[in-house]
Amino acid sequence: MTHLEFLPQFPLPANPLALFGVLLLVGALGGELTRRVLNLPRITGYVLIGLTLGASGLNVLDAKMLAYTRVFLDVGLGLVLFELGRRLNLMWLTGDRWLLVMASAESLLSFGCMFGALVWFDIKPLHAAVAAAIGISSSPAIVMLVARELHAEGQVTERALNLVAINSVIAFVLVTMLLSWIHREYHAGVFVMVLHPAYILSVSLFAGYLASLVALGLARWFGKQAEMHIALLLAVIVVLVGAAETLKFSVLIALLAFGVLVKNLDRDHALMPVDVGRFGQIFFIVLFVATGAMLKITDLVASGAIAAIYIAARFVGKSIGVLCFAHLSGIRAGSGGLLSIALLPMSGIALAMTYSATSLYPVFAAELGALVLGAALILELAGPIAVQFALRHAGEAHE
Amino acid sequence: MTTSEMDFKPSPDLSMGVELELQILNSRDYNLARDAADLLKVLEMLEHPGEVKPEITESMIEINSSVHTRYDTLLVELRRIRDAVVQAATRLNLRIAGGGSHPFHKWSERRIYPTERFKYLLEVYGYLAKQFTVFGQHIHIGCPNGNEAVYLTHVFSRYIPHFIALSASSPFQQGEDTGFQSSRLNTVSAFPLSGHIPFVTTWDEFVAYFEKMRRFGIVESMKDFYWDIRPKPEFGTVEIRVLDTPLTVEHAARLAAYAQTLAHYAFTRRPLPASPDVYLVYRHNRFQACRYGLAGTFVDAYTQQQIPLQRDIINTLEVLKPHAAELGTGEALAALRAEADARRSDAAWLRDVHAELGSLNDVARRQSDEWAGRAPVPG
Repeated sequence: MTHLEFLPQFPLPANPLALFGVLLLVGALGGELTRRVLNLPRITGYVLIGLTLGASGLNVLDAKMLAYTRVFLDVGLGLVLFELGRRLNLMWLTGDRWLLVMASAESLLSFGCMFGALVWFDIKPLHAAVAAAIGISSSPAIVMLVARELHAEGQVTERALNLVAINSVIAFVLVTMLLSWIHREYHAGVFVMVLHPAYILSVSLFAGYLASLVALGLARWFGKQAEMHIALLLAVIVVLVGAAETLKFSVLIALLAFGVLVKNLDRDHALMPVDVGRFGQIFFIVLFVATGAMLKITDLVASGAIAAIYIAARFVGKSIGVLCFAHLSGIRAGSGGLLSIALLPMSGIALAMTYSATSLYPVFAAELGALVLGAALILELAGPIAVQFALRHAGEAHE
Repeated sequence: MTTSEMDFKPSPDLSMGVELELQILNSRDYNLARDAADLLKVLEMLEHPGEVKPEITESMIEINSSVHTRYDTLLVELRRIRDAVVQAATRLNLRIAGGGSHPFHKWSERRIYPTERFKYLLEVYGYLAKQFTVFGQHIHIGCPNGNEAVYLTHVFSRYIPHFIALSASSPFQQGEDTGFQSSRLNTVSAFPLSGHIPFVTTWDEFVAYFEKMRRFGIVESMKDFYWDIRPKPEFGTVEIRVLDTPLTVEHAARLAAYAQTLAHYAFTRRPLPASPDVYLVYRHNRFQACRYGLAGTFVDAYTQQQIPLQRDIINTLEVLKPHAAELGTGEALAALRAEADARRSDAAWLRDVHAELGSLNDVARRQSDEWAGRAPVPG
């Protein structure tokens, strides 16, 4: 048989590129079907396809296969976070201080409500605190991509994106700080307890800062050529995402910081406001399919009622925070409610935080997962629908 | 509209008022935003003189001054309205810009502001309604009666190229350099009822013309005429509508002062009889001013000679000097004279910014800096 060695050998090895192509195609088909048949956002369709292919369904996309998609998923997430960071206008926060107050209020109140509710239902304070901290963050990917899909533009859209950026940062910082508590719980040394969060935060911020200096310097050198600026930004984003994995800092903080700094340090407007998201579309689809595949229906069954309590407490906290300051922050009556709805989605980042916060301690991971993952599943599916509803009713969709 | 609404309501001699259509930009890439409704809402809470109104698409607003007889008070008021609008925009993370066109927005992305009239205009005019997202300055000059308004309209018709060239600030459209100094007026010309007043010499003749057009079912009110200059009986004014919104309120006030001084000259000296010949050369002169601005040529219907437009403007400013002294518009006219001498218009400034900074996003950003009276950031 040696003369037939030019033929492929069975079993066929998985090929990451082919897998990416297949997921992209299947995701696109599922998204479009969901839109046409159910009149729901395409993103919900991508997640549904992921669920179908993942552990809860056909189990085609098992943990091993998912590992192959990791790189595409990270690039997609990196693009979203960068875009979000670039939209965070620090000048606006100084021009409309109530927006910053609103952002802090909805973050802290949602944390308070979730923590209180979970403790009330006999969850251990440590678990309740980490779960509540994770729940502060709204999904940057869902809010950003639904807004893109609808071509939405206006005050509710802009404010939702700014609030998402801020609550994601608050959530991450809080989770990282709570890591110290976990360390204490599991008798790690004081040294580790302080150093771990400090390392992640400082290195992530520094990486974002360095990336923005490089991007601005090269943008100046290229001059005002849109195509070159897009290539430049994509390159720096991908390098940063890769470096985060190698050096074990946070993709979330680093990419957000890169986005914020590249916009706000650009005093002479060297970098053109190019749209990198246009190139990200293909990564976004795979991002959601893969996220869907990670979710498990069994998590929902396991967490049951506690997931519903968690979601309700989170929504109540966020709504109170937003509604209390909506009229002071210069938006139309009625927009406050829509803004709270737009903050509903919880995302893959929550999953990532759950895993990263707990990868060191598997027992804790399992207990925390039972609290958070059920809610994540519901909000990953319902979140896009909520955002679409909010932006359409605010009259900001352009279809 | 009943005939009584065509009664000309006399207004104080040589009073003036200014309307400016403004661009609402986002602060991300400086494209047009769609936040007119929210902006108007915030402005309701801020104290300011004059009025702020919606315009045909959600990316525009219009500010109106009150009625003034003096240039200096007009300027003070325009600055106060500008400051209020800029303050409101800042709260919403928006920017405001002058200029006759947005350099790179796409008309198909515009949305009509949801009022009955604007929806009706979209239905009648189709895509022209969205393309009408261009930004003009209107100047009202008060007249004692209808006959004088008709006379002043005809006199102003001779000077239309002056106003076009001095206000020209729309060199870019839809991401391209048009080669024009004012490309905005090409958009206006597409409307079937654009153009100029027919050659009538009394208010009664004008009302008869209007009634006839109304019976034809072509118009319902004076609003339906998109003329370059039109009498406005309910205000008792003649309204000049050919100007691009300048880059600053200061420039807008100067142009109003120019119109006021010209009207003073026309009413006190009666230098020119109304002449149908003005309308023979009208479109030629208008095109020259749009295309070449201060470098265009000008055909004087009264002397039947062709001269550089720049020369005709400088000559006119000379003649107006004593009238300017009487009205207190000398300073404004001197600034316009300097601009005419140097052949510098807002359009040239915009082209220079583009050449210097290399992108139209930067042009739009600098337009909004200029409007707010902020010192431009170097680079």
